[in-house]
Parts: sequence; structure tokens; C-alpha cells
Amino acid sequence: MKKLHLLLVVLYACSDPVHAQQKAALGGEVAGVPHGPTHRPGQPCLVCHGNFSVAGTVYLDPIEKNGARDVVVVLTDSQMREHTVKTNEVGTFIVRTNEWQPVYPMKVALEYGGVTTPMTADIGRDGACATCHFDPAGPTSPGHVYLSPDGGTP
Amino acid sequence: MSRFHDIALAVLIFGCSPSASDAPIAVPDRATFPAVADLLVKRCGTLDCHGTAYRNLRIYGSQGMRLSPGDRPLSKGTTTAAEYEADFQSVVGLEPEILTTVVKDGVSPDHLTFVRKARGTEHHKGGSLMQEGDAQDRCITSWLAGSTDVVGCQNAANGSF
Repeated sequence: MKKLHLLLVVLYACSDPVHAQQKAALGGEVAGVPHGPTHRPGQPCLVCHGNFSVAGTVYLDPIEKNGARDVVVVLTDSQMREHTVKTNEVGTFIVRTNEWQPVYPMKVALEYGGVTTPMTADIGRDGACATCHFDPAGPTSPGHVYLSPDGGTP
Repeated sequence: MSRFHDIALAVLIFGCSPSASDAPIAVPDRATFPAVADLLVKRCGTLDCHGTAYRNLRIYGSQGMRLSPGDRPLSKGTTTAAEYEADFQSVVGLEPEILTTVVKDGVSPDHLTFVRKARGTEHHKGGSLMQEGDAQDRCITSWLAGSTDVVGCQNAANGSF
């Protein structure tokens, strides 16, 4: 019995209840969407993916949840190093830790249709867009990341 | 009975005498704080850092967390008077006794955790945001010293990073 108690204590000590709660809050997978680069658009990717350094989803407009494909995401870190990546068919982009890791703070801009739209604030330390950009918009979130207010080419 | 009176008198005297926590707190200049706050909003107050109510140092402002439910982040240049006041209260409320020694007695600002963390001389999840003597550091330390370099603060807030 003592061994069982000891085992339970060790297991509890090794768990991360905060992280577990964050993961649980994201809910389950959507039926029919495979586990891969097109799953869970708009969610904070880095909660589960420790091998991602920066990741997120870009939408066409602030209202509809239509992912914006082929948007070029330009990341510039505090050392003035730049990395670009393109969004996939659901508007998601992924930068892996073995590709590039920013020295924060970091700036980001979106390029689409010949127009560049920079984010007005810097990113402090979190590479998951959805940590700050979630719906509904309110005093603690500008809402999901979008290209332009009217959904058209900026 | 005499012993009881002695004890009662001692309790009365020590229980009612002013303690260190009752000493008046000295704070830096409130009037010039908005220039400092604009720098804090930009460098510290992002939504993934101190732009959250869950931190002791919580920063409200146009670039991050808003105070009014009707306002939105990323609305550059719209920090409200109420947000400046909330930021001021947050900063001066962190370590008021130490702040008093800095403001009133000229003790080195690095006695403040707020300054040490920003300089990176104490572990800070956000890393080192300023170096001692650079424009951002001068903005904050000049404010603490009672002679806020307002133009310097504005330049630092408008800088690239």
C-alpha cells in the first residue's frame, strides 16, 4: 500500500495540471479532419506542439471563419532576423523549432495581393497567435487574425 | 492588578503606535507618468506578457489589454486616462516601501524588482528588455528620480523594438 501511495505521489508530482487544463480546454478533434497541418485552425498550436516555434491561422475577415490561403507571414525578431512562411489551405502556418526560433520580441506582417499589413504591436514571448487572438473579440483579445476588415484583398 | 495594568498599558502603547507599514508612501510624479506608460504599454504590455490581469504588474493600454469592455487591443494611440491611472496604480503598488526609498531617499532603482527584471539582472520570463543607461532605462529611472525625460520616453516608445 505504501508503494502505491508513493507511486501516486510521484505521478502527481510529474504531471502539469495547468498544461493539462489548457489542452482539455481545446476540446476534441473535428470528425473527418485528420490530425495534421489542417486540423484545429485558430487554436493555440504551441499548447500541444512543443516542436513549433511560431504557428497560427490567418482568416480573410474579422467576422467569418474562412481561412486565408497563400498568405505570406513575415516574422522579424529583435535581432532583425527575418523568416517567411506561407499559410496552407485552411489559413494555418507553422514554423518548427528546427527551422527558426525568434529572439523576442518579434514583429509580424502579412503579405497578400501585393499589400503588406503589419501587426501594430510586437509579440512579447508567445509564438502561438491564438494565445492572444481568440474569439470573441473583447478587451483582452482583438479577435482572430484576419487580413482586412472587409475580407477582400487589403 | 498592577501587573495586569502594566500589561494592558504595554498592549495599548504598542498596539496603537504607528508601524512601518503606516509610514507615508512616496511615489514618482503622476503627471509625467503617461510618457512612461506609453513605453510600458509597448514593451511590457503585450497580451502575452503583462497585458493580463493575472500578473502583479498589469498593464492596460491601446496595444494590449483594455480597461473598458468596449475597447479593443491593437488600437494604437488610444490609451485612455483611466488606463494610465490603472497602470500607475499597478506600478506603484508593486513594492511601495522600496519605491519610497528610491523616490524619497535616492536609493538605487535596481532595488526594485520591476527594474531588475526589465534589465534582466533578475530572472524574467520576458528576458532583458533594457540595458542600464539605454533610452528605455533612462525613461524609467528618470521618472523614478523625479525628472522624467518625457521626450526620451516618447522616442523610446516609438523605437523599433
